[in-house]
Amino acid sequence: MPPTQPPRSRLIGSDVLSASPSTASCGREAAPHTHRRHLLGAFAGAYVASLIPWALAQPVASAEQAPFMALSALLTGRTALDAELGQRLHAALVAAQPGFAADARALLDWINTRQVDPARLQQALDDARSPLAPLPRLLARAWFMGIVGEGAQARVLAYEEALNAQIVADVLRPPSYAYGPYGSWVVPPKEEPSRG
Amino acid sequence: MADSARAGKVPAPADFVVVGAGIIGALLARKLALAGASVLMLEAGPYVTRGEIVARFRNSPRRSDWVSPYPPAPWAPHPVYAPVANDHLLQAGPYPYKAEYLRQYGGTTWHWAAHAWRNVPGDFRIRTLYGVGVDWPFDYDELEQYYQEAEVLMGVSGAPNTGSPRRQPFPMPPVAEPWAMRRIRERLQGVYPVVGNTTARNSRGYDGRPACVGNNSCQPICPVNAQYHGGIAADAAQAAGVKVLTDANVYRLEHDASGRRIVAAHYYDPDKRSHRVTGKTFIVAANGIESPRLLLLSASDRFPRGLANSRDMVGRHLMDHPSTSLTFDADEPLWLGRGPQSPSSINTMRDGDFRRAHAPYRLDFTNISRVDGTSAALIKEGIYGPEFARRLRHSAAHELNVKSVLEVLPHPDHRITLSDQKDALGLPRPMAHYSIDDYTRAGHQRARQDFQRIADLMGGSRLRFTGDDDFANNQHICGTLSMGTNPATSVCDGYARAHDHENLFFAGTGVLPTAGTCNSTENGVAVALRTAAHILAQQAGQPMPAPPGAGPQAPQKGGQS
Repeated sequence: MPPTQPPRSRLIGSDVLSASPSTASCGREAAPHTHRRHLLGAFAGAYVASLIPWALAQPVASAEQAPFMALSALLTGRTALDAELGQRLHAALVAAQPGFAADARALLDWINTRQVDPARLQQALDDARSPLAPLPRLLARAWFMGIVGEGAQARVLAYEEALNAQIVADVLRPPSYAYGPYGSWVVPPKEEPSRG
Repeated sequence: MADSARAGKVPAPADFVVVGAGIIGALLARKLALAGASVLMLEAGPYVTRGEIVARFRNSPRRSDWVSPYPPAPWAPHPVYAPVANDHLLQAGPYPYKAEYLRQYGGTTWHWAAHAWRNVPGDFRIRTLYGVGVDWPFDYDELEQYYQEAEVLMGVSGAPNTGSPRRQPFPMPPVAEPWAMRRIRERLQGVYPVVGNTTARNSRGYDGRPACVGNNSCQPICPVNAQYHGGIAADAAQAAGVKVLTDANVYRLEHDASGRRIVAAHYYDPDKRSHRVTGKTFIVAANGIESPRLLLLSASDRFPRGLANSRDMVGRHLMDHPSTSLTFDADEPLWLGRGPQSPSSINTMRDGDFRRAHAPYRLDFTNISRVDGTSAALIKEGIYGPEFARRLRHSAAHELNVKSVLEVLPHPDHRITLSDQKDALGLPRPMAHYSIDDYTRAGHQRARQDFQRIADLMGGSRLRFTGDDDFANNQHICGTLSMGTNPATSVCDGYARAHDHENLFFAGTGVLPTAGTCNSTENGVAVALRTAAHILAQQAGQPMPAPPGAGPQAPQKGGQS
């Protein structure tokens, strides 16, 4: 029996611009004139904004969540991030670490101030012995592996929708999902050139 | 479903009381029940279902820890090492023996890779042939019909090119070869013959279960039951009339005044109430660690060292299969993770005169997806963004791993004993005494040369060898209740009957007197089916059944391809 797929979450990205404002990515019904929509671009900072131009028009659920979403866009390098998953990950990260939202804001400021090359972010944080050095790993683990928390407190927030599964989805299925009919694995793998 | 000891009802006395509802005990119990015996099977752990295990796997933050979907019941602890160790199996050293097993309906094979090998004929006579280890109390020809019986029950697929001769064909043709394995086979051709593993995995619909559809999660769970496991065996036992009682932790076997006969089993239910059940014959099938533990726990005034232990052999000669490995990047995209997890191996070093000098081994190619491991490694390295995606795809496409499966010789000092620490039920925890000797280490050094050659043939780069003192365990727990003709050096006879007690038998990989180079389950099943045939023949006053086609016709020779 095929596994039940979770409901397809809304993507932030091009489809939101054409959607009605009352069903924006936060998923809440709201009349446009009573609810102030935040766009990511307003919170990213000039330098980071220049690094994630595709993400600037995306709505974010709250000002508090905006630094997390800006960092997420930067750290994942994905042009579209699942907004509902983002909300769940943010909530889990805040629950695991109460100072998380403030740390995310601080890291965003740190990157903007120093104009850090994102490909060298971890190195820069480690070299500076910054107390924010653990933060990129938390976000990376959340988005790429769908996991938040450590040891006995670790929780899975996403599996099939985690980015590592998406990145290889042209060739592989997440383990425990059927690859295909019997024998479908004998043929050479066929990669999508644009995938990555 | 199965009845649970929670309900508090004590079952009626049975002809046979079997302790443990794993694959080997269940198939033996089934055979006895089909012959008309009343059989009661007592399982310490709970009933489990496939659906809940799949859900736990998908929700596990440690998917490559194959124990994580199987949290132990508090009244039936098994070893847990992560994220927090529960110290169920204590370590006396000098080398750690971090065995994993599952105490639940169906036992440990819920999370195996379904390797269903036979020994090679030389494995039965390594003392005579090579001057090491011990000889088995019977040879390959004697066991051959029971291998076949085991393969028909489990649904084994394969081709006769893996070194084990056979009289009859495999129940099923080999499982379709994944592309990655085909390329390895083609590129190693002429230097190493790569063969398909003989596995309890369906290459077509079999016994009401579907063919493999490539879920690539064999360890820890096959979501579609294309792979045989102990849960299926326990269901088959029930269908044959075996009564299974779960949540019944047998902690003591009781003997009669003479000491020659076992008369009862005592078990705890989840509320730690003790119950006593009687029977005519007792069979301990509780894996290679919990079985000797039970015998040691059953110490009495008459037997202060425990049951079946007059010569202090219980728990000794502990063996498993240590593995070392090489991970490397091939020079072409192969994409492990498409199809079953463990399809192919090299079997040329399983037997030969070199066994005088160093351990034999198989070489195993994994087809387990690299995605989880690579993701964790990249994040640990601090790699994010487009670079993460690029490197993840590269490793997912190119990374290969080959491992050795090395023989370990029986040493009396390698053993399972009782510790002075108690588990949740107040029972002394088992303790492992283990090391890796020079014979096995020399086998690893030889295997390492093969690793290098294989990487060269695959255009390998980024070679990452495991350390020379870093031996991973394979959970093939052997030797602790060794069969043998000499009571001074073994626990039971060639039919796995305890030397010391006339109505006590053993079933499981613990009775195997040497480990050989193949995963132990099919050996254990075949030996148990032969034990059942012996018990039934004795009770009927008849000789054992002759092998089919025995006589002038020679068995099909399974040579190397």
